[in-house]
Amino acid sequence: MASFVEPLRPNIASADVALPGVRDYEQVDDEIIATLKPSAGWFGALGVSILLFLVGAAAWIYQIYWGLGNAGYAPPVMWGVYIITFVFWVGIGHAGTLISAILFLFRAGFRTTIYRCAEAMTVFAVMTAGLFPIIHIGRPWKFFWLIPYPNWRMIWPNFKSPLVWDVFAISTYLTVSATFLYVGLIPDIAVLRDRETNPMRKQILAVLSLGWRNSEPEWRHFMKMYLFLAAFSTPLVLSVHSVVSFDFAMALTPGWHATIFAPYFVAGAIFSGVGMVFTIIIPIRRFFSLRHYVTINHLDAAAKLCLFTSLIVGCAYLIEFWVAWYSGVAVEQEFFWNRVFGQWWWSAWIMLICNMVLPLSLFSQQLRRNPTWLFILSIFINIGMWFERFVIIVPSLSHEFEPWQWGHYAPSWVDVSILIGSFGWFFMWFLLFIKQLPVIAISEVKEIVPPKLRTHAAPHGVDVSGHHPPYGVATPGEFD
Amino acid sequence: MRRGLVAAFRELDAICDAIEALKKQKYDFTVYTPTPRHEIEHAVAPPMSPVRRYTLIGGLLGLTFGYWIAVWTSEYWPLVVGGKAIASWIPYTIIGFEMMVLVGALSTVAAMFIHSGIPKITATIGFDPRFSHGDYGIFVEAPPERLKAAEDTLRAHGAVDVRGES
Repeated sequence: MASFVEPLRPNIASADVALPGVRDYEQVDDEIIATLKPSAGWFGALGVSILLFLVGAAAWIYQIYWGLGNAGYAPPVMWGVYIITFVFWVGIGHAGTLISAILFLFRAGFRTTIYRCAEAMTVFAVMTAGLFPIIHIGRPWKFFWLIPYPNWRMIWPNFKSPLVWDVFAISTYLTVSATFLYVGLIPDIAVLRDRETNPMRKQILAVLSLGWRNSEPEWRHFMKMYLFLAAFSTPLVLSVHSVVSFDFAMALTPGWHATIFAPYFVAGAIFSGVGMVFTIIIPIRRFFSLRHYVTINHLDAAAKLCLFTSLIVGCAYLIEFWVAWYSGVAVEQEFFWNRVFGQWWWSAWIMLICNMVLPLSLFSQQLRRNPTWLFILSIFINIGMWFERFVIIVPSLSHEFEPWQWGHYAPSWVDVSILIGSFGWFFMWFLLFIKQLPVIAISEVKEIVPPKLRTHAAPHGVDVSGHHPPYGVATPGEFD
Repeated sequence: MRRGLVAAFRELDAICDAIEALKKQKYDFTVYTPTPRHEIEHAVAPPMSPVRRYTLIGGLLGLTFGYWIAVWTSEYWPLVVGGKAIASWIPYTIIGFEMMVLVGALSTVAAMFIHSGIPKITATIGFDPRFSHGDYGIFVEAPPERLKAAEDTLRAHGAVDVRGES
């Protein structure tokens, strides 16, 4: 019989959560509201973000004035950085909905302290993504042609086209995720309203909270609504990146025409989004002193999600090669050889190392519980996932069926500036959000905090301590 | 004009007991809680929220509209695209699905607004800012002659503060 070995650290990252460092509801309000006070560091970060955004905006104005030829497009590669970045930002958005909706349905408690941040990230990422098709069309003042309505001869858009599916998917996703974020914020805005002392801000918060009063009927309808929004968002998030993948998979282009694309894109999207959640939440928990809310256990659990999606993505990469070999189609085989050992070898290896190899480190519990490593890894994941889309788009277009079609692609300074500008735009909105509205869901955190009781007896046959373990000694390494 | 008492409670079991007592005495009341608690829901024992019906109806309407708009526009100006049928239900499922989610989700939110009575113009009557902080609360609405008995009940079950409201 094998003897029991005490683990190095108790592996308690699970669906069950506890916040030993949080005593009562008042503490939750006070500490999370305290994060709304602007600091010098925040102003500095906002200034850098706005500067980057202005760089991108200036490059876009230049491109509008001088024409789309200033982007790096060169036949046959007529999809480049803009479409790559569009897919990248749509993907980033996916983790937010996964964490807020899918993990809500699965009752994964660790989501509670990170979901608001992830949900805001979703909205701003989809807002950013939505700009890129408009930039890509070259004449942005014609963007309204994307909206499905008929022309004067009553010809409607072609509903059999993946590009029209995209418009429906992205606009639905942006509307539903923004609605989900806002309605989830209403009870927290009411908390801010009731604690606010500045009359002008109080008035604005009163309007935004829509007169929410925390009454039992309000909560009852709210919880039912939240459940159904989560139930709608779950298939929505899976459908959106599937539809984006159809932009590629519906074409006969080598490397694109694959039935694996929808699940491959969805897993990649969630993987990249979890990476971005780490990039955002780890500095927030450190600089906002929220380490007793977003505990190491929460990061550990999110890291397991990251590892799981990385394994799916890695499996998809390998299956693509296997399918190319198994298909017996020479063009497909040649294309995949070219992807890894030919013209674009460097981008493919950046993708494989960042997305497939480095995340394997998360099999180590010590590294999963190390925020510094998670932050560094998240940067690699962001880079790797941008390059994944580069690898999907550019090598396929530059290496189609006939050798005379083969070509090269190099992004221009306009492409790169607009890419940088997109990060500035995203972080500008995010930084503005985190100083105006709570970055951790106050009402949901209060659900985890044990309520005050007169007696220790459970009223009405319900165990008031819920499923929480006893709040005693803090777990070692919990707040590191 | 509404008239009644606003009571604040520090403890969850205290407010649950007070709710039970008020129900026995057949008072009309509204309960406030900083965060949803099943214990309070069990004590109040309210009817099930009708929000789900709006979700179902909204979802079905959206689904129907999504398919209809795609089929109608195809039939209105029939052009064969990619050798597909004029009205191809398989690609139109994407339009139907997205419209189902969009209309269903927005109907669900609208249902919450309608049944919760928000947006509210005034949030002050029968409410105290403590109820969004750390305290639980009850607003009892009753004719003046029954208010004293209600106050006694609330205090007997652990209300830390009771004030009149009109």
